[in-house]
Amino acid sequence: MVKKKFIIFLFLFINFFGNCFSQTEPYSKLENDIAKNLRCLICQGQSIYDSNSEFALSMRIYIKDQIDNGYSESQIYNMLVKKYGQWIVYDPGYSKKTFLLWFIPILFFILGGAIIYLKIYKSKKYEKFF
Amino acid sequence: MILSNVGFFSLLLGLLSSFAVFLCSVLNIKNNLLKLEKKIYKFLTIQFLFVIIGFFILLYSFLISDFSNETVYNNSHTTKPVFYKITGLWGNHEGSLLLWLLVLTSFVLFFFFSSRDEPKNFRLYTVIFHQIIVIGFFIFVLKTSNPFDILFPVPSEGLGLNPILQDPALAIHPPILYVGYVGTSIIFASALAAMVTGYVNNVWAKNLKKLVLISWTFLTGGILLGSIWAYYELGWGGFWFWDPVENISLMPWLSLTALLHCISTLEKRDLFKNWSIILSIVTFMLSVTGTFLVRSGILNSVHTFANDPSRGIYILIFLFVLIFISFVIFLIFENKNSENKKEIFFLSKETSVLINNWFMIYFLSVVLIGTVYPIFLDVITSEKISVGPPFYNKLLIPFLIPFFLFMSVGPSMNWIKTNLKFKVSHIYYFLFTSTATIITIYVLSQKDFLIIILIFSLLFLTIKTIANFLKKNTNHAQNVSHLGFAMLMLSILFNSISSTEIIKNIKVGDSFVSKNEKITFEKVKTNEKKNYSSIIGTFEIKNNNNKIIKLYPEIRVYNQPIIATSEAAIKTTLFKDRFITINLIKDEQLFNVRYQNKPFMIWIWISTLIIIFGGTFAIFGKKKNYT
Repeated sequence: MVKKKFIIFLFLFINFFGNCFSQTEPYSKLENDIAKNLRCLICQGQSIYDSNSEFALSMRIYIKDQIDNGYSESQIYNMLVKKYGQWIVYDPGYSKKTFLLWFIPILFFILGGAIIYLKIYKSKKYEKFF
Repeated sequence: MILSNVGFFSLLLGLLSSFAVFLCSVLNIKNNLLKLEKKIYKFLTIQFLFVIIGFFILLYSFLISDFSNETVYNNSHTTKPVFYKITGLWGNHEGSLLLWLLVLTSFVLFFFFSSRDEPKNFRLYTVIFHQIIVIGFFIFVLKTSNPFDILFPVPSEGLGLNPILQDPALAIHPPILYVGYVGTSIIFASALAAMVTGYVNNVWAKNLKKLVLISWTFLTGGILLGSIWAYYELGWGGFWFWDPVENISLMPWLSLTALLHCISTLEKRDLFKNWSIILSIVTFMLSVTGTFLVRSGILNSVHTFANDPSRGIYILIFLFVLIFISFVIFLIFENKNSENKKEIFFLSKETSVLINNWFMIYFLSVVLIGTVYPIFLDVITSEKISVGPPFYNKLLIPFLIPFFLFMSVGPSMNWIKTNLKFKVSHIYYFLFTSTATIITIYVLSQKDFLIIILIFSLLFLTIKTIANFLKKNTNHAQNVSHLGFAMLMLSILFNSISSTEIIKNIKVGDSFVSKNEKITFEKVKTNEKKNYSSIIGTFEIKNNNNKIIKLYPEIRVYNQPIIATSEAAIKTTLFKDRFITINLIKDEQLFNVRYQNKPFMIWIWISTLIIIFGGTFAIFGKKKNYT
């Protein structure tokens, strides 16, 4: 009975917040996604998406133009990286230079897992011997 | 001018009493003299008092706007409200280091008074190791960043405080954050002392746990205040940007969280001795590394006060000395605290703690590598790269799913061994979570597979944690914090997948429509305040039921120094925040208006407060022996 009530409550709760989502957006989703991944070069730690600077606004226009010209997301990034350097995109990407950036944390994860496995496995072995 | 001199000399005397404490402690280890111990008490108190005097002199200089003091001149202005005159003290490099010193000395005093029941030599060694840090910071303050430098001739007006720092949440966040940061110093000293004296056992763990909890709770609070500031003040509608400075506060938090779990195991089962020590050391190292990165000017952020290379080099050397000392001590005394050779069963709380630590260290490594890698790459190849949200999202989010699942079952495990029995309730949990997930993804109309699994694992975590409250013999502080964490993650997830935004360039009198709301730009007016003048816009938001909300975003132009900031107007309700900012567009009558709907914003703050409440509960709650 209690569970039933709880489910009803949950249902109402979820339905209630369902009303708050709106969809209309002047910039397309693709434009916003690209803008979020670009650093505003004249601000401190803001993306093009977050910034209101003139640089950001002109970048927005540039992005829109390039999309209209039929370029894809990665092509636009490539053009911008050529022009401003890797600094402008927030996604460091996969390359020779960023190999360690991606690999070291994963290595930590694998090592950690191995250590835990050994710890449990070893302690079992210990019991067998004594 | 006299005041500044007094302040400087009181810090100098403070340094001398630190040496005295150090000497007394060293002498007392060999000769067991009660007199010396009394002297340590005395000198510790004196050292603390001198720092207090220095602190209050600087505070007074800020209050009366004594511009013969260089720190006051650089960071204050006569037109500033009193509140920001006070908080201006730590809104700069010199003053914040004085605050750092104050917290440092009060912690060692607190430790020495509250540890009377612990072995004498352990206490003395803790004080010795901690005094090394205190002396290091005293010299750092006096040599490279004296807050009492004198200016002559005396300027008639100060340069003012950066306006984006003039915000209540930001103004009080340094003291809170510092208690968290600096609290790790006593954990570090205590760990080294316990190694040397062979005191790494469950009694030590039990006492240390309190200090860990204090640091952890304050650090959580500091991070919360920083995020609140970013949300309300920066005006971009975000609260976490993976900015290097945010990462720096997150790193000690992650290792403290790992330590908190690990130390409980040491307390209950006398296991993971070396690992607890390593975590204690690493946590403090991360705090100092953070200070180094922020203060050296390597990182580009609001927190980088002055770019003085000598400061960075000093902290770097200091850091290496500390690492060297801890490394040597660890190698020498490791055998003294030999590890218990107890069996660890796979289905046990011990394993859960190991898994928690595994993930914490992984998250820590992601944040650490993400923060320092660009710096090293820049130095080695002089190529600049940005490591931003896409990196963290890719490396963190997939790993969160197993983490949440482990976190759901971990607390229900028993110490030593858990017998897995099939229970009907397991099916109920699964069905219940699945139903809730289906409803949620239906409402959010989500099709992304990763997000669906994330929602499932998070809901499972929430439901399991709530169920834990009903159990007998359960650790309520832990349940509260875990529930807070689950809610935090849920709110962040919902917030990030369903925030919406409209950006328009409109004139006064225009209106635009957002799904079921009509937003009208009614008027603008100007306003003059003591430290800024502003343009205030009036917006009316009308929804389908003709309910009206008015919002008043501002553009402020501060007079000292002259900086324009955009103040967001935010209407908070239980289910979503409405967020409006306006900006001027050059040479035009138009305003750039940004209207955002941010669901569950307030729940991000509330759930973090719940986490903090759990921590506070654990500090002050009655001691019980949980199974």
